[in-house]
Amino acid sequence: MRKALPLKVSVSGVRGIVGESLTPQIAARFAAAFGTYLGPGMIMIGQDPRPSGVMLKKAVISSLLATGCQPVEVGILPIPTILFLTKEKQMAGAVVITASHNPLEWNGLKFIGPEGLYLKASQVEEFLDIFHQGEFTFVPAERIKPILQEKNAGELHLQKILSQLNLKAIRRRKFRVVADCANGAGATLMPQFLKELGCQVLLLNTEITGSFAHQSEPVAENLSTLCEKVRHFKADLGLAQDADADRLALVDEKGRAPGEDFTLALTVDQVLRKKKGPVAVNLSASMVIDDIARKYRVPIFRTKIGESNVVEKMLEVRAIIGGEGNGGVIWPAVHPSRDSFVATGLVLEHMAESGKTLSQLIQSFPRYFMLKDKLPCPSELAFQAVTELRRRYSKETTSTVDGLKIIWPDSWIHLRPSNTEPIIRLIAESRSAARTRKILVSFKKELLEIMKKLS
Amino acid sequence: MKLLKVSLSGVRGVVGQALTPELVLDFACAFGTMLPAGPIMVGRDTRKSGPMIQEAVISSLLSTGHEVIDLGLCPTPIIQFLTKKYKVRGAISITAGHNPAEWNALNFINSSGTYLNEFQGADLLDIYHLNRFRYKSARKFPKIIHEINPAEVYFSWLRNKIKIKEIGQAKFKVVVDPCNGAGSKLIDRFMSELGVELIAINNEGNGYFPHDPEPRPRNAGEVASLVKATGAQVGFLLNSDVSRVSLITETGETLSEEYTLPLIASYYLGFQPGPVVTNLSTSMMVEEVAKKFGRQVIRTRVGQSSIIQTMLQEGAAIGGEGSGGLALKNFQPAFDGWVIMGLVLEMMAISQKKLSELVRELPRYHIVKDKIVCPPHRLHSLVAETRKLYPEKEINSTDGLRITEKDFWIHIRASATEPIIRIIAESPSKNRAQLEVDRVLTFLSRLMS
Repeated sequence: MRKALPLKVSVSGVRGIVGESLTPQIAARFAAAFGTYLGPGMIMIGQDPRPSGVMLKKAVISSLLATGCQPVEVGILPIPTILFLTKEKQMAGAVVITASHNPLEWNGLKFIGPEGLYLKASQVEEFLDIFHQGEFTFVPAERIKPILQEKNAGELHLQKILSQLNLKAIRRRKFRVVADCANGAGATLMPQFLKELGCQVLLLNTEITGSFAHQSEPVAENLSTLCEKVRHFKADLGLAQDADADRLALVDEKGRAPGEDFTLALTVDQVLRKKKGPVAVNLSASMVIDDIARKYRVPIFRTKIGESNVVEKMLEVRAIIGGEGNGGVIWPAVHPSRDSFVATGLVLEHMAESGKTLSQLIQSFPRYFMLKDKLPCPSELAFQAVTELRRRYSKETTSTVDGLKIIWPDSWIHLRPSNTEPIIRLIAESRSAARTRKILVSFKKELLEIMKKLS
Repeated sequence: MKLLKVSLSGVRGVVGQALTPELVLDFACAFGTMLPAGPIMVGRDTRKSGPMIQEAVISSLLSTGHEVIDLGLCPTPIIQFLTKKYKVRGAISITAGHNPAEWNALNFINSSGTYLNEFQGADLLDIYHLNRFRYKSARKFPKIIHEINPAEVYFSWLRNKIKIKEIGQAKFKVVVDPCNGAGSKLIDRFMSELGVELIAINNEGNGYFPHDPEPRPRNAGEVASLVKATGAQVGFLLNSDVSRVSLITETGETLSEEYTLPLIASYYLGFQPGPVVTNLSTSMMVEEVAKKFGRQVIRTRVGQSSIIQTMLQEGAAIGGEGSGGLALKNFQPAFDGWVIMGLVLEMMAISQKKLSELVRELPRYHIVKDKIVCPPHRLHSLVAETRKLYPEKEINSTDGLRITEKDFWIHIRASATEPIIRIIAESPSKNRAQLEVDRVLTFLSRLMS
C-alpha cells in the first residue's frame, strides 16, 4: 500500500511538515509559479498563527516580488476574511499560509484567484504545470515593487456581514454567547463581531500564540469544555470555530452539541425564510436540507465534495445559500466562501427573529442519524469497486457525480474513493441510528466481496 | 550568459537572472546551517531588489533555527560593527556595493564582524553544494528582533574615535553624494555630529541610482560642480553601502579613487605604528607614503577579506584598496566609508591645509584600469595565457599575474565579483601604462574571438 507522503499537493494547495517536506525553498517555488501564473499584480498575503508562518510567508513574499507582483501583507486573519478582501480590494490573487486543522508540525500554502475564490481544478492544473516545468518569469530589479502592509483589514469583512443582517433584532435580544476560537485566526475578529451584535460574551481560546488548546476540528468530541461553559454561563448559544474560521459548530442553551449539519440547516432555513432561491450543498450533507428546500419550494443542487465544487455550482445556478454538512456555510450575499462569521450572524438572526431558543429551532427539523466509515483500499481498486457498485445499483435512484450515492425515500448512502488517501469513504443517513448502521454494514460487506473478486 | 559570481565577499548576480529567491534561500540556509545556534543580523542597502532578497534571507535563517536581528536599511560597515558589538553569530549584508542597480549580492560576515576567511568560505560552499540544510522543526520558531537602532549605536562609538572638536572648529562645508544608497539620510546625522555644514545630493535613499554607485571620477561630475559652486572644502562620493569613498578637492578636481588610501595613510601613519596592507592592483603611491614613514607594504590578493585577514595577522596600521575602501587599526576591521570621511576631515582640520594641497604632497603616477568581459569558465585560463606576453619577466602569481618593471607595473586578474578580466597598469608616464593595457586587451580579445 502507498505510504502517505508528508508533502501533499492538491486542489486546495500544498501542505507538508515544516523543515522536512515543506522548506522555504519549496514554498518559494510554489509562490514563484503562482506569481508567474497570475502575472504582475497585487497579491494579498495572510497567515494563520502557526509559529512557522512568518518563515514561510517571507519565502513566499520573496518569490512574489521576484516575479513582479506586489505583496499586500494583512497578517493573521481568518480564511473567509482573506477570500472576501481579495475580491473587495481587487487583488490579482492571494496566498494564505495555513494548514487548517493539521498538527502544529505542519503548515501549507493556499492559493486564491482574483475573484476571491480558490483556484478551479483546471486553473490548478495550469498553475502546477508552471511549477513542474520550473520556468518562472522573474523581472529585472527595476520592476520589483515595494511590499505593502494593511492593518485592521478584517474590519471591512465584518462591516459587510453586519450590513446584511437584521442588526436591530439581534441587538435587542442581548444574547449570551460562549465562543471558542480554538486559538485560531478567528480570534482576531470574533470578539469584535459579537460585540457589534450586542452579545454578552464569554470567550475561550482567543490567545493567538501559535499553539492550539485543543484539536481544532469542530466536531462533537472536541466540544466538551464548550458545552460545560455554556451551561455554567447560562448562555443562549455556544460557538466553535475551526482554526481557519471557515467552519462553525453550535452548542444549544442546554449545553448539547447537535452536530455540524445543523449549522447548515439553520442558516439555510433562515435565508430561505426571507427570500426564495436555489440551494447548493455537497452530496454528503444531511437530507434535512432537502426537507427545508422542499418546505420553501426551492430547487436544491448536490455537488461533488470539496468547497470549490460547491462554490462553482452555487455561482452557476445563482444559489442564494449553500455549503457543506461540516459546518461550512456559504452565503453569496457576503462572499461565495465558507464563513463561520456569516454562520454565526445567520444563526443569531434566526433566533432573534423567531424568538425561539436554539434547541427549539433544532427540534423543529426532522431528526436524522448520520454515520461515517472508511475502508482501506488501493486507489485503483477503489475506483473499480465503486464502478461495479454503480452497475449493480443502476436501477435505484443514484447520483454518480462523485463516487456513488444511492437515494431511497428516507435514507441514502454515499460511497466515494478518497482523493488524498487510499481509502473508500462511506456515509449513510436514515431516520434511525439502527437503520443507518445496517445500511453501512451491508455496503461495507458488499464492497469487501467486490474487492476480493476484483483482485 | 547568466551573471553569477561566488567568492569570499559573497554571492553576487543580476537580479532575476542568476540571483533568484531560490538561490538566495539556498545560500542563506547554508550560512544558517554552518553557524552555531544563536542570533544573526540582516541588513541591506536601498536597491529595489533589497526587500525581495531580505525576505528570502530571513526565511532561511529562521528555518535553520536562528533568531534574526533585522537592521533594515543599513550600510555594511555599520552591520559589521554591530555584529561584533552584540556578539551575534554572524550577519548577512544585502548589497552589491559599487555594482549597477540591476545587481545585488549576499555578503557574509562572521562573528568578528569581518568577511568570511577562506576556510569559512570553503565550508559555506561545501554545505551549499551538498544542499543538505539543518532545518528546525515547526513546534517552536525563533523570532525576528527589530529593537536595535543601528545608527545610534554606531555613531555614538565613532564620535569618540575622531577629533570632532577640531573638525567642528574648522567650520567645514562639504558636498556628499550617497547615490541614493544606504548612506542616504544617515549622512545628515553624521555631518551634524561633526559640526559640518552638509550639502547633499542623491540623498533620498530610494535605490534609484542617478549614476553607477561606483566612487570614481566618471561618476563625480555632479559633486565636483557643486563643490565649486558652493565653495565647499571637500566632496565625497560614496558607493551604495558606504564601504568606498572617492574625493573631490575644493578646486573641483575629481580625484581618482586610488588617492583615498595613500592620502589617509600619509596622515594616519604619522601616529599609528604598523605596516600597510594593500592588494596587487593598487597604485604605488602608497609605497612612497609608507617609505616616508619607514613602513613595510604587504601586497595581498584583491578583496576586502584578504586585506582584513592580512591586516589582523600583521598588526597593520592601515589596509585598503585602490577602489577607495580601507580599514584602520583602532577603528574596526572593515572597509568603512564613515571612518574615511571622518579622517579626511580630521586631517584637513589638524593640518589646516586644503585638500588640494594635501594631495599635491603625494607622488603622482598614471594608473590605467580596463576590463574585458569573458565567459566565467575561461576567466582563469585566459589570465594564465597572458603570461606569453611577458615570457622573460618575473611574475607574482598570488592573484592572477603581476609584472613589475622599472617604469611600470601591470596586473591582470579575474574579477571575483563579475565575469570579467581586469587589467591595471601604472607608470610615471601615462602613455606607457596605456600601451601595456592595450597590448593585453588586444591579446585577450584575439584569444576569445
